[in-house]
Amino acid sequence: MKILISFLMAITVAFASDATIEVIKRVDSLPTIAVEDSSESYDNKFKMKFFKSLIADLNVLSIFNVDRYHREVKYDANEVAYENKDMDYVLRYRLVKSDNGSLNVNLKILTKNDTVFVKNYKINNPKIYMFVSHTIAYDINKFMGEDPVEWMKRKVIFSRIIAPQKSELVIADYTLEYQHVVVKGGFNIFPKWANKEQTAFYYSSLDEKKPTLKYVDIKTAKSKVIGSSDGMMICSDVSDDGSKLLLTKAPNGQPDIYMYDVNTKITSRLTKYGGIDVSGSFMGKDSIVFVSDRLGYPNIFSKNINSNSVEQMVYYGKSNISCSTFGEYIVYKSRETSNAFANNTFNLHLISTETDFIRRLTAVGVNEFPRFSVDGDAIIFIKNYKAQSSIGIIRLNHNKNYLFPLKYGKVQSLDW
Amino acid sequence: MKSIVISSVVIALLVLTGCSSKEPAVDTSSQYESVEKVAPVQSETVSSDESSVMSEDGSRASASDYASVSSSDSMSSLENDLSTIYFDFDKFNIREDMQNNIANDASIVNGAAIKFSVKLEGNCDEWGSDEYNFALGLKRANSVKKSLVAQGVNTNRITMVSFGESNPTCTEKTKDCWAKNRRVDFKLLP
Repeated sequence: MKILISFLMAITVAFASDATIEVIKRVDSLPTIAVEDSSESYDNKFKMKFFKSLIADLNVLSIFNVDRYHREVKYDANEVAYENKDMDYVLRYRLVKSDNGSLNVNLKILTKNDTVFVKNYKINNPKIYMFVSHTIAYDINKFMGEDPVEWMKRKVIFSRIIAPQKSELVIADYTLEYQHVVVKGGFNIFPKWANKEQTAFYYSSLDEKKPTLKYVDIKTAKSKVIGSSDGMMICSDVSDDGSKLLLTKAPNGQPDIYMYDVNTKITSRLTKYGGIDVSGSFMGKDSIVFVSDRLGYPNIFSKNINSNSVEQMVYYGKSNISCSTFGEYIVYKSRETSNAFANNTFNLHLISTETDFIRRLTAVGVNEFPRFSVDGDAIIFIKNYKAQSSIGIIRLNHNKNYLFPLKYGKVQSLDW
Repeated sequence: MKSIVISSVVIALLVLTGCSSKEPAVDTSSQYESVEKVAPVQSETVSSDESSVMSEDGSRASASDYASVSSSDSMSSLENDLSTIYFDFDKFNIREDMQNNIANDASIVNGAAIKFSVKLEGNCDEWGSDEYNFALGLKRANSVKKSLVAQGVNTNRITMVSFGESNPTCTEKTKDCWAKNRRVDFKLLP
């Protein structure tokens, strides 16, 4: 009997941690937090920029009910502002400009007038203040004992189409507040970070006679050619240690998935189907997940690198066009309508290879290019809805989506 | 008594684990929280090492094949004579009504344009920037290539590229517009 009970409890626990099961909104039970600004340096415009960035970050953490009101209180005041006296937490910070122009942030968190957390931050270039704000949010999340949000401090690289056959590659923070164009001019698409440290990236250039895969080291600004192929040459995925790439190449007009070893420079062909095989993504030690039209419509399949047998992974949706994997989870884009003459809807769905649950993650518009964060905690994606291109963040365990609109152009592809 | 307690626990666990709905549940209301943008940030420089990457500018693009194409009048006028091939939604087979265009193109490629190479550019409508869409554009180009080869064009003269949805000739959100973007264009190379 004890064994049976243990078994059932184990099942309960297993189901409880399944990301494909939706979490009911917990807004009412979330602790409240208010933010108090004690800055003395900097003008009001900059102070409000920093404040709004911090509020946005705290919201994305999804663990607080955040009070959006901007209140100014002396940093050393013993009590929180009168309006904040019922808040569970009060975050008080002070922006200080040092003599050499660097931005210093003193931060403390108060609970019922007691200081429970203190930390100072410094950044040489105040223009990239948003990374301080993300780091503060990261630390608060850690202080609250939540799972780490490593992705918040990472950079996003994306290609932005600015005119037909004209694009630029941009490095940004996850909110797109910071944007730095790294490759300008020409037609360059499908950027992909080359390693976990984000010190280099790959991208496809369509300016050459044949599509060409290039590698750029950000530190040295050196660019080199990895290879080219007739028709298509795209880096779809990079292995965790950065030593292997999954490429989509199309010699003779036949798109197939290849694996490229960065150290030995040896390329091996992984798929041989006569139709379309694209978007390879590493899953586990020796398997890949990819998109193929081998059933007459695009769908998600998996295969072992060392064998030829192919397994269908998704049984819902008649047009599943792109995917990303993390552990047992696969997120994929599915076409919900099939209409050549009207607006189509594409939504993202999450499945687990261990269960047969499906969770729909988006509701309207064209949602595409899903990518798991390095820790699997969040999914980043592109949303195009009513002529507005945005980058979206889905907090899986908190059942929240956030959108960050692009000022101009259209996001073609991204990596996180 | 003990067995009743245990049974209750077992039943409770069964109830708790067995009731999950397998229907995908979607919350359409207030699911999105658009976070306010803070600043209109232009391309900025974080550190000198990143800015140095920006040295790769548009000069290379202007030196691409197209510059030399436009420099040759005969080549560009021949290019204008070549008909674009249009495709159906999510398809890469050549339509019945496009067969005449292909035959006409093949005769030009093997006639007046015999000394040039041909670059086939596959394109798609706006429904997706994924690799699949690029592959679809490429398969369209490949269909045209096969048809040209079947009509006597030397396969070595033909190269292909896919621009996916990134090279639209029409940007309105209408069915006619989308149909115009599902196409294969011909470019001549020296």
